[in-house]
Amino acid sequence: MLSAGEFTNHLSRPEPSIPRVLTILSFVLEKLVARNNGLIDDLTQPLDGLSCGSAGIGKSLNPFHGVRAPSISIPKYLERLYKYTDCSPSCFVVGYVYIDRLVHKHPDSLVLSLNVHRLLVTSIMVASKMLDDVHYNNAFYAKVGGVSNAELNRLEVEFLFLLDFRVTVSSRVFESYCFLLEKEMILNGGACQTIERSLVPITDMADVPELSENTQTSPSLTQIMD
Amino acid sequence: MAIAAPGQLNLNEVPSWGSRGVDCFEKLEQIGEGTYGQVYMAKEIKTGEIVALKKIRMDNEREGFPITAIREIKILKKLHHDNVIKLKEIVTSPGPEKDEQGRPDGNKYKGGIYMVFEYMDHDLTGLADRPGMRFSVPQIKCYMRQLLTGLHYCHVNQVLHRDIKGSNLLIDNEGNLKLADFGLARSFSNDHNANLTNRVITLWYRPPELLLGATKYGPAVDMWSVGCIFAELLHGKPIFPGKDEPEQLNKIFELCGAPDEVNWPGVTKIPWYNNFKPTRPMKRRLREVFRHFDRHALELLERMLTLDPSQRISAKDALDAEYFWTDPLPCDPKSLPKYESSHEFQTKKKRQQQRQHEENAKRQKVQHPQQHRIPPNQQSGQAHTQIRPGPNQPIHGTQPVVAGGPSHHYVKPRGPSGGANRYQAGGNPGGGYSHPNRGGQGGGGGYSSGPYPAQGRGAPFGSSGLPGAGPRGGGSGYGVGGPNYPQNGPYGGSGSGSGRGSNMMGGNRNQQYGWQQ
Repeated sequence: MLSAGEFTNHLSRPEPSIPRVLTILSFVLEKLVARNNGLIDDLTQPLDGLSCGSAGIGKSLNPFHGVRAPSISIPKYLERLYKYTDCSPSCFVVGYVYIDRLVHKHPDSLVLSLNVHRLLVTSIMVASKMLDDVHYNNAFYAKVGGVSNAELNRLEVEFLFLLDFRVTVSSRVFESYCFLLEKEMILNGGACQTIERSLVPITDMADVPELSENTQTSPSLTQIMD
Repeated sequence: MAIAAPGQLNLNEVPSWGSRGVDCFEKLEQIGEGTYGQVYMAKEIKTGEIVALKKIRMDNEREGFPITAIREIKILKKLHHDNVIKLKEIVTSPGPEKDEQGRPDGNKYKGGIYMVFEYMDHDLTGLADRPGMRFSVPQIKCYMRQLLTGLHYCHVNQVLHRDIKGSNLLIDNEGNLKLADFGLARSFSNDHNANLTNRVITLWYRPPELLLGATKYGPAVDMWSVGCIFAELLHGKPIFPGKDEPEQLNKIFELCGAPDEVNWPGVTKIPWYNNFKPTRPMKRRLREVFRHFDRHALELLERMLTLDPSQRISAKDALDAEYFWTDPLPCDPKSLPKYESSHEFQTKKKRQQQRQHEENAKRQKVQHPQQHRIPPNQQSGQAHTQIRPGPNQPIHGTQPVVAGGPSHHYVKPRGPSGGANRYQAGGNPGGGYSHPNRGGQGGGGGYSSGPYPAQGRGAPFGSSGLPGAGPRGGGSGYGVGGPNYPQNGPYGGSGSGSGRGSNMMGGNRNQQYGWQQ
């Protein structure tokens, strides 16, 4: 459970501008993607390119597949999502829980460099919708994430159906995922870091007006994913 | 405590929803308007089974999938009870769009997403509004007990319904009552430390703590609504038909007395207390106003319409009230009469047509006053038609509605249409109250054991069979998976957000009741 001691510990440390969860999540995902990409390469030696290879694996994640991998790295992409959408750091953990649920539910699907960005923007957006008092709408996430509004809506619905609408993450499950992510980091020689566990307080004030996207300037990311 | 490995919890899932199209169903007619879309009666073509299809509005592109819909689906997926509406599956329909080559673009979600529910013939408001309808005492007890049983199940599973009202209580022709429309529902934690929005629950059924701006609340909010419905069933019409928040509070205070630190410790610290505190002393008049109710009904009502939410009766305790265990006992749902389909949506439509008919027929004459039963609409953007007589008429609310005659083929007036009250308004028809007959109450631990269970554990509670049957208790436990982490998202995003409670209509102010000064 979320212990108060742990929480104050975090507060007493100098707070880096980028939440540690982003660093850890980037690390874990980059490793996962590298492994899966390698797997696909092995499977499709005689063929050329990933797009052919991806046809051989499960179709569940097809809507998330781009034609080619976006040039922006995973850490930069997460940082971008965090910076402009201002979602709470917990959304990154919960987003990861969703992606993990999804690949366990559809074991034939692989997170690859071709789909990881779309999976991330969708999962973090849904997590923010579920968690945050104030969140940006799909249109804003689309702009930040470099996809069209219509595509992101479609991805959202695909995502929810793939998850079978299992979007509840209990505090226990949340904690166990934090633990898992931290362990991954240590096991792989990364620096020992802990994730910000700021899942409290819990609110759903509906009176808070939705922020208009015009109040924040977001350099429009050119369609990084075509 | 053992912690499930990540992903381990995902394996025992039912087959994926959304694989079937809406073309598996044939739409028959529109029967309602939900929080975020229309509801249709439909027939599954393969099996002939009648279902209700609730369309999820996807027309707000910028917002994407409505958060209220995500919540309703998420919550209904884990609630399985005879008194909670069953979500059977979700189906999609292909969109009309084509790609550049003129092929369907495969974007099935553009077309629509429908939630498929079991079909229910009536809702409580629609049923009560039938001309000449008069509920018997055992019938009222039967509905109330089912309502409380379903709500107790929700509360044990840490779900607040937050929109209990007659039109959300569905009734089938077997007499079963089920809670529906979980579009405003959310999970809660028992510590009440969360800040929740107070802009929930249809105004007439909204408890004083929400009207006073409380953001920390719990299951007691639903119990207030239940009290309002109970009183409405006994009284024959809504008891707090306020047109806006201040008037709503005033109506409550007039009946239940003004809150103070004595009857509601802490009330003066609730955010808007000072804005709304009554200017004159008001004492509780509930017993006096409803003195014609039977003793046990009044006793239970007193405990439901208690101002202080911490003293308000819980669903579990209400099920233990004398009221349900004295003659006449609640009847078996199956023994209730069968009625032709009636939904509030349809009765409203019918009355609307009837009103037009009347207006055309005798534009210059004095109209018959009509019943007002429609609470002020709570959602912006889907204005329900308010039925009300012309302005400035003396209204006493109980005149029959039959001036023009029902114009819908599916409504046959039953019984005397001129009766002032459709409900059993009082008296003591059964007698025998002094010999409480509590068959079977002692057995099995039933409802009365202990507080809500710890997170993730099932409560002892008979989950099989109808609540109307037999002794209390029963052994089987239910319990949904793990603890429910209270989700907190605003649902302001989905277009129905801001307006709850603010879209007040005039007109209901004409209602006068004997007990209001």
